[in-house]
Amino acid sequence: MKEKSPPKWALKFLRFFCKDKYLEQIEGDLFELFDRNHSHRKFAWNTLRFFRWRYLKGLDDFEQLTTLAMIKNYFKVASRTLLRQKSYSAINILGLAIGLASCLLITIYVNHERSYDKFFPESEQMFRVLNGTRGPWTPPLLAETMMLEISEIKSATRVQGLWESLFQIEDRTFIQKGAAYGDAEFFNVFETQFLEGDPKTALSEPNTIVLTESTAKKCFPNESAFGKHFMVDEVSHKVSAVVVDPPKNTHFPYEYIISDLEPGHNHWTGNSVWTYAKIKKNTNTKTIEEKLHQLYKKYAGPEALSWSGLDSFDELQEKYPDRHFGYTLYPITDIHLRGARYSMAIAGDYKNVIMFSLVAAFILLIACVNYINMSTARSALRAKEVGIRKALGSHRKHIISQFLVESILITIISVILALAISSVSIDYFNQLTGRQFTIEDLFTPQNLLYITLLIIIAGFLAGSYPAYIISGFSPLKALRGQKQQGGKRNLRNGLVAFQFAISVFLIAATIVVFKQLNHMQSHELGLNIHQTLVINGGRALEDKYGVFKNQLEQLSGVELVGKASGVPFHGYGDWTYNLLDGSDRTVGPYNAFTSSEFLEIMDIELVKGRFFSKEMVTDTASVVINETLAEELGWDDPIGKKISRQNKLDFTIIGIMKNFNFTSLKREIGPIVFRNGDRATMEIGAHHQAYVVAKVSSNNIVNTINKIEEIWHKHVQNYPLDAFFLDDSFQRHYEAERKFGGVFSTFSLLAILIAFLGLFALTTFVLQKRFKEIALRKVLGASVPSLLRMMIKDFTRLVIIGGTVGIGVAFYWLNDWLEGYSYRIELSWYLLLLPIILILLLTWVVVSAKSYRAAVTNPANALKEE
Amino acid sequence: MKNKSYQLGELEELVMIVVAILNEEAYGVKVMDEIEAQVGRKVNISAVHTTLDRLEKKGFVSSYMGGASAERGGRRKRLFRITAEGSKAINFVHQTRNALYQQIPKTSLSFTQ
Repeated sequence: MKEKSPPKWALKFLRFFCKDKYLEQIEGDLFELFDRNHSHRKFAWNTLRFFRWRYLKGLDDFEQLTTLAMIKNYFKVASRTLLRQKSYSAINILGLAIGLASCLLITIYVNHERSYDKFFPESEQMFRVLNGTRGPWTPPLLAETMMLEISEIKSATRVQGLWESLFQIEDRTFIQKGAAYGDAEFFNVFETQFLEGDPKTALSEPNTIVLTESTAKKCFPNESAFGKHFMVDEVSHKVSAVVVDPPKNTHFPYEYIISDLEPGHNHWTGNSVWTYAKIKKNTNTKTIEEKLHQLYKKYAGPEALSWSGLDSFDELQEKYPDRHFGYTLYPITDIHLRGARYSMAIAGDYKNVIMFSLVAAFILLIACVNYINMSTARSALRAKEVGIRKALGSHRKHIISQFLVESILITIISVILALAISSVSIDYFNQLTGRQFTIEDLFTPQNLLYITLLIIIAGFLAGSYPAYIISGFSPLKALRGQKQQGGKRNLRNGLVAFQFAISVFLIAATIVVFKQLNHMQSHELGLNIHQTLVINGGRALEDKYGVFKNQLEQLSGVELVGKASGVPFHGYGDWTYNLLDGSDRTVGPYNAFTSSEFLEIMDIELVKGRFFSKEMVTDTASVVINETLAEELGWDDPIGKKISRQNKLDFTIIGIMKNFNFTSLKREIGPIVFRNGDRATMEIGAHHQAYVVAKVSSNNIVNTINKIEEIWHKHVQNYPLDAFFLDDSFQRHYEAERKFGGVFSTFSLLAILIAFLGLFALTTFVLQKRFKEIALRKVLGASVPSLLRMMIKDFTRLVIIGGTVGIGVAFYWLNDWLEGYSYRIELSWYLLLLPIILILLLTWVVVSAKSYRAAVTNPANALKEE
Repeated sequence: MKNKSYQLGELEELVMIVVAILNEEAYGVKVMDEIEAQVGRKVNISAVHTTLDRLEKKGFVSSYMGGASAERGGRRKRLFRITAEGSKAINFVHQTRNALYQQIPKTSLSFTQ
């Protein structure tokens, strides 16, 4: 049936999408065609064919024309303003860009630090089990027992690491680091993705090894490692699985896991392993810890009792109220930032994270303050524009939007620049922080969200105050050319003082951080670590040590050779000794076996008595202690007195060493006992020659090491020489501090730079305003120095006010920071003054450099117009 | 006269010639009809509109609103006429085609004739 009128829906659709301008002619033609055959289908088809880009309604057809035009106009005016005041815009944009780039880099750093171990599924249910107050080491049976006897524990595993092992694969022999030992439950706690092999059985057989992907590639470059056999520490192991590499942000960066099923490992008496547990969802850690306490009482209690000589466990607890007899849970997500001693990787520090976040905020604040100061100060220049806008009918709202658009535009440009700056400087940032960030880390969705938020926050932060002030101008006054107050001068001064406060704070903090670092590194250690070569893996020499030592000492570059079970800065074990003085006291000093040459090699001073001697056969039962231990023993004269091990071995104290540092200077010097390691005994086995220590002369060290390596390989065929210098180990202890110092000073410098950029711009502006005043004063007889003094006076006041506040906060905070160090510098009065003087000098230089030109120009130039 | 060259699409050329023929009577439907009648080619009305708009933007045709008629539901026509630039363009295209055509050797066309 043919109807007279075309289909309504098609017409409606046309009217919906088509621009009004074209609508009439198109509709006319469509109607004319419809009139010929009255085909609805054809009409609809023709209409649809007009659905083309050129006929579609644009933004201006939907929006209120004026609003859109105004927004366009805002952008136009904003970009013109930016272009007209090039140096001012450059300082603003550059300052903001540097600030934002620092913020961005610090944000990814802080996010990275906070993300440690959170990648594990159910990471909030994962805990490290600590041995009460006795530290991180736990008995080997703990993991298995707690899993069986405490229902809230999902799984628990015992772990050792991270060590090094000797790999022998076909004809290749090398030392591979990153060795972890774990039992069959390992992957139930540390869930990971398996590339090959079965998670359930991966570590359930002895002599199996699980490789990470990159280790597998290194060991078997061109083939699958799965199922292969190779020698690990001279025992054949089978590769039972290949897993993905653990992410960068873990406290446990293992490279392979060896099954830990040694039969002699099932006891409660020694604390030799680490225990990790995963608890069930929604369980209270307090109840678990209570049950762990009962577990301790049941299994480890009897042994603790036998040591103390007391009758019951309760008595023991009463006697040592400050000790916790039991096991506690420590969240693994806290290890990286708060539990550095439980970390197997380079640990972080939450204090540093807070500090960096603070510095990032400071930098951004300084940049925003610059913007606020400059735009309010320069507002007079734009008074006429505002006046005209108001006269033409602008509301205050419109002018506020105008200025906000301007600041947001500046922020957007700065953000783009900031992204470029941070992309370029990311390598340098990696060097500073010792992390491996990539450019992709900058552009994660999360970061892009932050950036957008930053644009809005910084834009509003910086733009709202100037917008508020400028929009308040009276149009009448503005157009008449009357001066208007560009914001409250007090506020501007306050902000400048605030910048000075931050600058002084940062300088003070930088100085103290560096002084503390220097202090630690140059601290008298009490032993000579220079030119001390340490050879790791001396056990491989077996009974050939004596020959090796003699041959080494024949070399011209080697002065003296000795051996030890442990060397400073590489950790010692603590052993328990009973005091044989009738009391039931015990001491737990660090313990090492050293040969009689050790004292001379290390240059350790003796306070009393003597060191071991090769000639004295009885010296196998002699010990030398340090001052701390002597103090702990509390005897008037410890020489000749005896201490004893549990197996009824008695040792006579023959000497007291002056205290020397053997751990980080962050800690006090602990008690240590040296036992004679010249001859191996049952108790020490081959451990006494774990390290071979040699004093070498400083000339031609490379040649000496080459010769040592030659001799080493004469005795040891399949174990490479693993030697290092002791001062390197010492330095490594302070790497984290050095990195912190580097990052801190770099960003502090940037913050101060931005602050002075702002000061420079502000001075320029103030001078412009006071140009005539200066000229008049000159005409009336003011000298150039007096004019400079006048200009400097205002800023000096601000520096002193800001500096005092900054120093106060800095002292409070720095005292807190230094608390973390046992060997620390004292905050002295000149540290108070130095930053203020520094800032004051810098300010004077900037201000007088700018003012000098104004002061020496011919006053006629300034006064002739008018 | 400067040697200005004009780039015209095939449909553009056709539409322009038709607009010139129709002489003050050219509007969408009419142009479409004329092309179909004279060349035997079916063109959709939207394509004609688009081409006319494009030509107007290039400055080869100009337009004005004409009278309404009952069959158009009371809507006015938009009438097109050739501008001076437009006639130059047609002439240019016509001459260059002719010049090219003249250069074809007689023999190569003898097969088709």
